[in-house]
Order: sequence, then structure tokens, then C-alpha cells
Amino acid sequence: MTLAETLSFLPYGQYALYIWLSYGITFILIVGLFVRASINYKKIRSQLKNKYAREND
Amino acid sequence: MWKWIQKLASPKVFYETTNKLIPWFFWPFIALIIIGLYWGLVLAPADYQQGESFRIIYIHVPSAWMSMLVYFIMAVAGGIGLIWQIKMAEVVAKVSAPIGATFTLIALVTGAVWGKPMWGTWWVWDARLTSELILLFLYLAYISLNNAFDNPKTAAKASSILAIVGLVNLPIIHYSVKWWNTLHQGSMFNDISNPSMHPDMLWPLLIMVFAFQFLYGVLVLVNARDEVLVREQNSRWVRAVVTGEKL
Repeated sequence: MTLAETLSFLPYGQYALYIWLSYGITFILIVGLFVRASINYKKIRSQLKNKYAREND
Repeated sequence: MWKWIQKLASPKVFYETTNKLIPWFFWPFIALIIIGLYWGLVLAPADYQQGESFRIIYIHVPSAWMSMLVYFIMAVAGGIGLIWQIKMAEVVAKVSAPIGATFTLIALVTGAVWGKPMWGTWWVWDARLTSELILLFLYLAYISLNNAFDNPKTAAKASSILAIVGLVNLPIIHYSVKWWNTLHQGSMFNDISNPSMHPDMLWPLLIMVFAFQFLYGVLVLVNARDEVLVREQNSRWVRAVVTGEKL
């Protein structure tokens, strides 16, 4: 029994594996872009804050 | 209009404008993606030949279109930076690259996953797939080149030239299905007034295309905003933004 047949109980039957795999990978990559942006946002502000604090000392 | 563009070239105005625009791109993206996904995955009928598998089109085609559009924007912004020395254009080009690379990766991966049940193989070295893979390599080369220099001005110059040269790949991707025999299906929009898709399938596709455009918009704005802070970190206004001090 292939993986596609095993997962055929999901919506879209024999194509469930391919459809959900495509949408799943897309979701992960797009969320990854937002996570990267959010990490950068925090990192840059914290680095700049430290820099300005050092300059004030 | 020209005055407005000149104003936007100021990093401070650019930063303030990006901040204001982010919600105007984010919320339409959320609304369109929900409508597009529901319409495409639930309401749209199955294809008479490809069955349910055709639903991959709703992420494959928008991401493939965006991979080319973002590259075009990146190259044009890079060109504007080169010719008119507008730093904010360099910023837009730089932050567009990872987003465009991700769209290209999505197009390639979803195309491979769609190809398996339809063509019986994950990958073939045909013109459309190969030229799209070259586009991914161009994005990666742009990102590497941009990160290879400490001076952002030199980095922008070198990588913009690469992006402009790489523009030649866009018509190759677009016309590859016409110029060569390929497994990949032809364009659905040769005649815009008479697309080869039923409206029940076409509308969710168009909605998803708009959703991906807003997605690109929000990601560019968020990343450009941070890039401006880094580049202008010695300015008083950036210090005021970060520390909350008054100017």
C-alpha cells in the first residue's frame, strides 16, 4: 500500500497526500517568512538599544 | 507625484510610510487568503481530467507569478538605486530577494508535488521547470552577493547589476511553454477575454493571486522598515524611534 493510498481517507481521496503536502509546505514557508521578520524586528531593536546605551555611558 | 516620490526617498518618511501601510496590506491579505482558500478548496468543482489534484493550482500559479513579479520589482528597484542613487530603492530590492526566493521555492515544490500524480514523476528537466530553477539560483546569487560586502552601497551596486542581467530569464520562463516542447501545460491567459478556465475555478485563482500580492506587500514593508533602521542607525530620528527619546 502506497502512502497516497494510506492517506486517501483524508479529503480529496487519492490526491489527499499531494494536495495537503503542497499546502502544508506553502504554509510552513510563508509562516517562516513572518517568523524571520518578527525575529529580525526584535533583534535589530535590541541591538540598536544596546548600541545607544553604550554610547550614553 | 514626483514630489511624493522624492519625499518617500527620505529614510524617515519611508519608515513612517511603511509603518502606516502595513495594516493596509496585512488585513486584505488575511481576508483574500481565507476567501480564496475556501473557494478553491471547498466550492470549486473538481477538474474533469485532473480530478481533485488540480487544487494545487491555487498556490502553485500565484507563487509562480509572484516569483517573476518580485524578481522584476527587485531588478527595477536595483536599477533605480544604481541610476538615481535612491537608498530606499536599494532597500526594497534587498528585502524583496528572500521573499521572491521563497515564492520560487513554493512554485517549484508544489509543481513537483503536482507533477508526481499527473506526470508520474517529481521532476523533469524541461524548459519551464529548468528556467524556474535558474530563477531560484539567481535569487540565491543575489542574496549571497548582497551579503558578501560590508559596505551596503557596494553590495547594492554589485547585486543590482546581477539582478538586471538576470532579467533576461523572465521572458524565457514565460515563453518556455511556447518555444519548446514541454510537459508543462501552456498559458491559460493567452486570450484575456476568453480564459481556458471555468469562472468557478478562475475566480478563486485570481483571488489567491491578489492575496499573494498583498502578502508580498506586507512582507516587503515589514522587512524594509527594519532595514532602514539598520542603515540609518546613526541618525537622530532612529535613536528616537528605538529608545523612545524625543528629538
